[in-house]
Amino acid sequence: MIRILENEHYQRGVYLAGKLILWFILLLGVVITVFPFIWSAMLSTHDRSTMFSSTLTLQLSDQLVNNYHQLQQIMPFWNAMFNSMKVAGLGTLFSLLFCSMIGYALAVYQFRGRNVIFTVMICSMMIPPVLTLIPYFMVIDALGLTNTHLAVWLPFTISPFGIFLIRQYVVASVPRELLEAAKLDGASEFRTYWSVVLPLLRPGLATLAIVQFVMLWNNFLHPLVILNSREMQVITQVLRSVQSIPNTPWGAVMLGTTLSILPLLVIYLLSSKQMISGLTSGAVK
Amino acid sequence: MSRNLDVSPEVSDVVRAADTAKADNIKRLWNKSTPYWFVSPYLIIFGVFGVFPIFFMVFLSFHHWNPVAGLGSMRWVGLENYELALTDPMLWQAMWNTLVMALLSGIPQHLVALPMAYLLVSLGAHARHWLTTAYFLPYITSTIAVSMIFYIMYSPQSGLINHMLRALADGTLTSWAFGWINNFMPIAWLQENSLIRYSVSFVVFWKYVGFNIVIYTAGLATIPNDLYEAAKIDGASSFQRFRYIALPLMRPFIFFAVTLTIIGNMNLFEEPFVLTRGLQTAATNGMSISNYLYRVAWEWLDMGSAAAISWILFLVIGTFTGLYFWLFGRKGLEGN
Amino acid sequence: MKLKTTAGLALASFGLTVGAMAADIRIDGFPDYDSQLNRILPAFEASTGHKVSQLMNNHGDHHNKIATNLATGQGAGDVVLIDVGFVGSFVDQGGFVDLTDRFAPHASNYAEYAVLQGRGGDGRQYAVPVDLGPGVIYYRRDYMEDMGYNLDEVMASWDSYIAYGKELKEKHGVLLIGNAAAIAAAYINFNVEPGNGLYFDADGNSMVTSPRFVRAFELAKQVRDAGLDGNISEWTEDWYEGFKNGTFATQMSGAWLLGHLQNWMAPDTAGMWGVSHLPGGIYGSWGGSFLGIPRQSSNPDAAWALIEHMISADNQLAGFQNIAAFPAHTGTYSDSSFDEPIDFLRGQQARQMFAEIAENVTPVAPHRGDLIAQSLVIQTALEQVLNDGVPVMTALRTAEAQIRRRVR
Repeated sequence: MIRILENEHYQRGVYLAGKLILWFILLLGVVITVFPFIWSAMLSTHDRSTMFSSTLTLQLSDQLVNNYHQLQQIMPFWNAMFNSMKVAGLGTLFSLLFCSMIGYALAVYQFRGRNVIFTVMICSMMIPPVLTLIPYFMVIDALGLTNTHLAVWLPFTISPFGIFLIRQYVVASVPRELLEAAKLDGASEFRTYWSVVLPLLRPGLATLAIVQFVMLWNNFLHPLVILNSREMQVITQVLRSVQSIPNTPWGAVMLGTTLSILPLLVIYLLSSKQMISGLTSGAVK
Repeated sequence: MSRNLDVSPEVSDVVRAADTAKADNIKRLWNKSTPYWFVSPYLIIFGVFGVFPIFFMVFLSFHHWNPVAGLGSMRWVGLENYELALTDPMLWQAMWNTLVMALLSGIPQHLVALPMAYLLVSLGAHARHWLTTAYFLPYITSTIAVSMIFYIMYSPQSGLINHMLRALADGTLTSWAFGWINNFMPIAWLQENSLIRYSVSFVVFWKYVGFNIVIYTAGLATIPNDLYEAAKIDGASSFQRFRYIALPLMRPFIFFAVTLTIIGNMNLFEEPFVLTRGLQTAATNGMSISNYLYRVAWEWLDMGSAAAISWILFLVIGTFTGLYFWLFGRKGLEGN
Repeated sequence: MKLKTTAGLALASFGLTVGAMAADIRIDGFPDYDSQLNRILPAFEASTGHKVSQLMNNHGDHHNKIATNLATGQGAGDVVLIDVGFVGSFVDQGGFVDLTDRFAPHASNYAEYAVLQGRGGDGRQYAVPVDLGPGVIYYRRDYMEDMGYNLDEVMASWDSYIAYGKELKEKHGVLLIGNAAAIAAAYINFNVEPGNGLYFDADGNSMVTSPRFVRAFELAKQVRDAGLDGNISEWTEDWYEGFKNGTFATQMSGAWLLGHLQNWMAPDTAGMWGVSHLPGGIYGSWGGSFLGIPRQSSNPDAAWALIEHMISADNQLAGFQNIAAFPAHTGTYSDSSFDEPIDFLRGQQARQMFAEIAENVTPVAPHRGDLIAQSLVIQTALEQVLNDGVPVMTALRTAEAQIRRRVR
């Protein structure tokens, strides 16, 4: 028995079997997670009369072109996509800047009010957004920002998620000695942050970029009350606006939905490269 | 504080030449104000957009207010909204539902995501890149597509899940072990009060595992390679390296991700709302506290009660989060 | 002198233009009304000079947005479309322009019960009906006359209706209805005692433990216990599939379901369907929408002109053609299109029946607690009875206690 266990072929067999099971599980996970995405792409080739079925239909239909025409007819699709890009893009850029500044300060400086700010920030995540909608609209209205894109990205650039993430990232990855060294070299505080700390934060910033972009892109509640002209509306809004129980052109909606996810995927793929720039697989193996 | 801004380094040089003691003072002041410059975006933006809504909600929770009647119609009711909420059986039911769903979806999320992230990193750049992308997809796939697909999966008559269970129950090899399932067929995953919490939790789990994998992957990027190398030379196995190097160094990220899950799951809204078809089916056990809040605020148009409920929810989440910070914060918030 | 006249004329014409000054207005609504507006707005803009923009959102979002606008007094369109479910709670709170005088010359042309629904507690008109949903029951003819059943006998009462369901199930394995909950909802909504509201009596006392509710719940429970329904939620894939495959034999709904059935839900089942009064010959309404002018509108006159345009007989008929919105204008019912046989319903002249129902629905007084009571009774309590086996009276008493607490 022991001889068998020590047999090289046997060990190799166990190793291969383990690897096979591992890959089976990993790929099963892929099927479960990717499927809805593929499926919604498939549905965009259907017409609503062939789309709904309580059994899974895995057939392509021939309505793609029609759906695309209909999509452009019922909503300013590309205009709304552009608006969403603008809102999510600007919002993400500024939150990268703001969250990294704030998170960095919370991580490295001792100052009066630090714990208060941190606590307020954590607490502000706990307030349900469905209820602050009315007072939020009042603020926007009082500032004269109704129907502006600024109102749907600026307030979200100080995302508690992002600040907290960066704070943790700095704590975990920026050695104190490095900051001391920068100080001895005569670098100003802002310069230290900009040229020493930020490059180290790349994977964290990439993560923040993805999450923040997705959040801003999918935000719906705030645009709903703030953006009230067709040419200003964002993609989530126009896609939802044509959905009602009666007469929804589901084929066009599914196509629009699928297309509207693609920018998120692109952003993810771009940031993913940055995110794992700090990782080299060899060492962990 | 604005005076400090005007004092540029060149000016302070001059000052130093004149009076070193005074210059040191200014420098100290300037240095002291640095952190405030860094956090100023937060102070400004939160001050402008965030403070008023919070005070408004506190104010609101002591009033009876039907929003469609306009701002002028608020009526002071003192603590009535809180009293009403605390003695509301539906609220406590919703609170319990939320807690159950938060645990059922939250714990597996991290138990899967953490080792998974480590495993993915060890698989090599290409595999990791594409697999992580795949696992992240549920987080960005639209709610419509997600809800449609899960309605179909969970469908009692023709759903994929019930099909598989039936196959297990009737299969020649498996019927001895799974035959009993037939007694419960067809299982109405989204209609039965006894099942809805599991059905919802699975969707939440499915949606956020990839999200957590991404956070943990970013966290793993902070661990220097030479630590692994050294352990490898010392003969540490792959598991030991995970257990004794990666896990302790990942603490800030685990702390971060778990905090997010606690807060996020207690605020669970979308998944139960969609899967119960806007609280049309199995709402007794499937309704989360945020769903109830939404109903009270926007369907029943009782904003005062909703504000009181949200402050109660706030206290509950705050208690959990506070407890978590108290227990793990010292290690989770500090560096290595 | 001449100069004076010219100046006077100029002044007069100036005055005229001011009086009918062209305005930019906006209408807020939900689909499918955009399809209807796209067709009828050009004529309106040409004749009045007003420019109208539209802001459509899906049904639920639209009402949330309007609630926010009313709350803050900012951001609503000049005309807003309101679903009948929200009319009671929205229009009676002071946020809408009193349309009584403007609507008075027209009021008698519209279905009476709907006109009354648009009134506030003070008897003033704050919203006017634009479309209706006469309550009917669609049934499969292949499970009715083709199998030898007589429609009139089946629909004579709720008991005969359920007896029919039992036979269908035993002999043919067909379900009576998709979801038993619809039966309770129909019974509660369409058997309101004269003078009472849906959930509250004239004095504002809750009625949810009264015999009407008990009977409604018992009927639904009877159907569920006998296995005559599929526990299929409405507007789900399983439901659409049920219509396509003939899983169930009947479905209660507003008249508007016809359009969905023939357009996309089950176009292949043409000729298999019929439509009937609800069991026991009761009349009721199932859906409908209203138009109102928020007080924050800066152009109430132009807004009213648009409403007048939308509820005119011609455009009501156009709406019926374009988006199957059943006209609220009763004068349209004599139009020849109402006599047309409908192929999908095997040649039945169904529109006459819809019109008859629309003209005979008994008005039910709205109450500000209706939405609260509805979700507590129709959703929570009914679900407890049907799915969790809670006794009818226990569930209703719990609901009543909750209503008492919540309706303040």
